[in-house]
Amino acid sequence: MSSNAVEIESLSKMFPAPGGLSRFTVLESLSLRIERGTFASLVGPSGCGKSTLLNIIAGIETHDSGEVHIATQDGGKSNARIGYVFQSPRLLNWLTVEDNIKFALEAQNITRANWGERVRKYLDLVGLAGQEHNYPLKLSGGMQQRVAIARALAIEPDILLMDEPFSHLDEITARKMRVDLMHILEHAKPTILFVTHSLREAVYLSEEVYMMSVKPARIFKHLRVEIPRPREPEDPRLFDLEKDLVREFFSVLEHDQR
Amino acid sequence: MIGLLLLWHVVSLFFLATFLPSPAELLTRVAAIFSNPSAYRVVGKTLERILAGLVLSMLIGAAIGLVMGLRRAVASFLDSWIMVLLTFPAISWAFLSVLWFGISDLAPIFTIVLIVFPYVTMNVWEGTKAMDKELTDMAMVFRANRFLLLRKVLIPQLMPYIFSSLRISFALSWKIALVSEAFGAGLGVGKELMYWFQGIRADMMLAWGVSFMVLMVLIDLLVLRRWEQRVFSWRQAAVA
Repeated sequence: MSSNAVEIESLSKMFPAPGGLSRFTVLESLSLRIERGTFASLVGPSGCGKSTLLNIIAGIETHDSGEVHIATQDGGKSNARIGYVFQSPRLLNWLTVEDNIKFALEAQNITRANWGERVRKYLDLVGLAGQEHNYPLKLSGGMQQRVAIARALAIEPDILLMDEPFSHLDEITARKMRVDLMHILEHAKPTILFVTHSLREAVYLSEEVYMMSVKPARIFKHLRVEIPRPREPEDPRLFDLEKDLVREFFSVLEHDQR
Repeated sequence: MIGLLLLWHVVSLFFLATFLPSPAELLTRVAAIFSNPSAYRVVGKTLERILAGLVLSMLIGAAIGLVMGLRRAVASFLDSWIMVLLTFPAISWAFLSVLWFGISDLAPIFTIVLIVFPYVTMNVWEGTKAMDKELTDMAMVFRANRFLLLRKVLIPQLMPYIFSSLRISFALSWKIALVSEAFGAGLGVGKELMYWFQGIRADMMLAWGVSFMVLMVLIDLLVLRRWEQRVFSWRQAAVA
């Protein structure tokens, strides 16, 4: 068995164009492999199809051709467990923090006997111990997103998808969340596919960075960030890396437009 | 308030107490009615019918509204039929149900359900249009089954619509119950109103009407509103 958690093979996706007569290609023959336990980022401009790709992996969007394969712990006998952290928390506001996490556990048919322990462990990990019985609307935006992260981690997913999870937060909160995420991942080590339009965020968090261009989306660059983790957000090596990537990105963009 | 009572008192001086009683006279009538234990049986009977009609209307109405919201084909089929029911004269149901069911509990309950459930359906159907697709997607990603999706994601989003339907339905139900009972019940507050109407006793009709109204307002305030507040306590968190 390969050690890949996710294998995407020449995936294509078309959407009907506005008006409905023609179709345009969002993803064209896109391939991607993510090794088990790796933090991989997908970076690209808005509207390049990053979220579409995540939704196809998550099974809430169809694709036209190609294959998506997610390795499961029991070697494919059961459905893959997919954790998803969206841009907005998407919590069930009428349920307590604890019950929001239990919702995911129940959906995944995880034995009821383990619920209490899972809730405690992952709320603790995201720094929300003691908030079990609070309602989401009583929490700040950052705390709500932490609940969403705990919910996604609690099912102990085969792949954790994160779609610009910090983009709705103010920069100070977002920075703290990134640092905390880095520490959380020392304790839980899921395979992560993280989508962002921020190169800085990608190089800070990831072990692997994939850069995407637009229309149709393709991956034009794959890079391994060799700096050991946990990292300092202000590490000068990260800035250098970011600068190089920005330069490269714009040259590809200009080339595409010609 | 005091001024209004005073005006009522002065006007009532020009009429017979049985035509327009003064506030004090009305109170003595109310006291007289409820000093007789059989009055409680009359009120209890009417409350039973209101409760049965209301519960059935809510269940049928909400179920149909939900299915219409989830299945477009059902919605386009039922849409015009619900409109037909809504526009059919309410009083016709009251008479028809007496013809069909005779003097029984069924007549008022049937009348309530036919008049009230279409309102519930329209309201809940409207609610399904406001449901958040993003939450459904979230539930799908985590592989919630249909039952879990319905229980924890969809129905909670409909609760505001269900509660507004409930309070309107309650107000409608008790008014319909009295009208229907006037024609088709052996025992009930509506029957009492009919009895005193035939005896040309406006004072007794007012006494029954006012005391029943007070009871209904109390139920609305003490039961329905409190229940609503408890169900939506998660919202108050937003204010804090």
